[in-house]
Amino acid sequence: MKRLTFAFFILFSATLRAADPVDVLVQGAEDPEVQEIVAALGPTAEKTTIGPFTFWIGHIGPHRVAVSLTGQAVINCTTSTILGIEEFQPKLIVNQGTSGAQAPYLSLHDIIVGRRALDYGGFVSPVRAPGEGSAPLSWTTLPQQLRDPKTGALLAYPEGFEGDAECIEVALRTRNRMGRVFPGVIGSAHEINLELDRVRWSAQTFGMDVEEMESGHVAALAHAYGIRYIAFRVVSDAPYEGVPFYALAARATALFTVDFLRNLPPLPGTAR
Amino acid sequence: MSRRSLFLVALWCVAVVRGAPASPADVLIVADETVIAPLRGNLSDSVATTRASWTFWSGTLAGKSVVLARSEGDPLNAVAVTTLAIRQHAPRLIVTAGIARAHDPELRSGDLVVSEKFAAIDGMVTEHRELGEGSDGATWQKLPHALMTPGETEVYIDSFPADASAAAVALQLQPRSGRTISGVLGSAHQINREADRIAALRALWGTSSEDTESAHVAGCAKLFGIPAVGLRVIDSDPSEVTALTLQFLEAWK
Repeated sequence: MKRLTFAFFILFSATLRAADPVDVLVQGAEDPEVQEIVAALGPTAEKTTIGPFTFWIGHIGPHRVAVSLTGQAVINCTTSTILGIEEFQPKLIVNQGTSGAQAPYLSLHDIIVGRRALDYGGFVSPVRAPGEGSAPLSWTTLPQQLRDPKTGALLAYPEGFEGDAECIEVALRTRNRMGRVFPGVIGSAHEINLELDRVRWSAQTFGMDVEEMESGHVAALAHAYGIRYIAFRVVSDAPYEGVPFYALAARATALFTVDFLRNLPPLPGTAR
Repeated sequence: MSRRSLFLVALWCVAVVRGAPASPADVLIVADETVIAPLRGNLSDSVATTRASWTFWSGTLAGKSVVLARSEGDPLNAVAVTTLAIRQHAPRLIVTAGIARAHDPELRSGDLVVSEKFAAIDGMVTEHRELGEGSDGATWQKLPHALMTPGETEVYIDSFPADASAAAVALQLQPRSGRTISGVLGSAHQINREADRIAALRALWGTSSEDTESAHVAGCAKLFGIPAVGLRVIDSDPSEVTALTLQFLEAWK
């Protein structure tokens, strides 16, 4: 059995090769968020897995693309993003999917193009004795920090991370087949907020237009690696309007992402 | 050879073939700078690896091949450096160590809480409330993490397991002034100081303590099938955590 096992390792190792770099790493947390994009890769797309994470590699428009099913929230998306970056060395990361509206002007199927994205889940609460309750609107925010490898300093990013300017421009010229398109701010935390006072507090405190669970985390990782980044989030639920979560809204942002990639000129350094 | 061992060796093979200069390690210790720095001073044949914002050091400590990963004290940084270190060193065990705040009112400063299991307590969902009806963090419900598994399936899980044999070793450790207790280590990028919310979190998740990374590191470990154990000292000096981590390394086989 030992010999057989050893032979398996040798065979396993021999059949592997370093992945070729891609131009764009496109992410979605759930199946409905990536299905249309994987389909756009065409029938010759390659599928590969790293640990529990799946990537599909092919072409959309002029770009070599790896589509990544990240899973939801910070543990999944951080792990899969690090693996995706280390494996495929993308020039651009596109994170896209569904979100909850944090601003009353937004309706189902509207898409926010991320001017910036941030983690809004960190906080310090004041000391309150038993019986004094909990008052989230009085909490102090705790911004994401990253260590600057050049200086060694741990820097805080209370505003989050800006989206790539060229990508924002292209995205704002791309049609949303199911709704409107706005530039805005995307907030991430493992939270579903339906208390309208807290929703309004988040919008006022962070400038957030929508909330979801990954974009701000991936933005931090992209910033750390110096990789261009953009996020698109379709409104799939709107607490001001009483619209509950509508999973199929994911199709709108997936189609939008495919159209965006077709509109996006080849990235610098791409072989023609 | 167990399926887990097979997976770890396969992971290591992938890292080697795909260009990461991998060397398998016995233990990956994930902790913030205050805990890691003194350990780093004792690491022989130390090799530092920096990828983007994250650094880990490999070498020998207490007769074991050890990787020290600097977590920076929040879930994102902790998971990022854990992933990078796993990819390069495929450790047999992950130790997340540090200080914590008590959720269990019986805990005292200096007590060591050893992970029975881990709970990522950042997940929450609220009931609908109209404008003017306020917000109450003591009424929020829990939203477990859904970890990705092979086959593109996410599985919701309330808590992440701790390795029973490593936890048994840790339960023999002797803190300077406190007791050693088995408990549930909760983590979130939060510092909760409202007594009613702490009680609500404990009721929802069964937490003994809270810190800012341990359960997220354990969740990352679970993604790769690597056993994890947590050591958390309540309201302590970091040097106590460092000393207990060294004790653990010497005792663990």
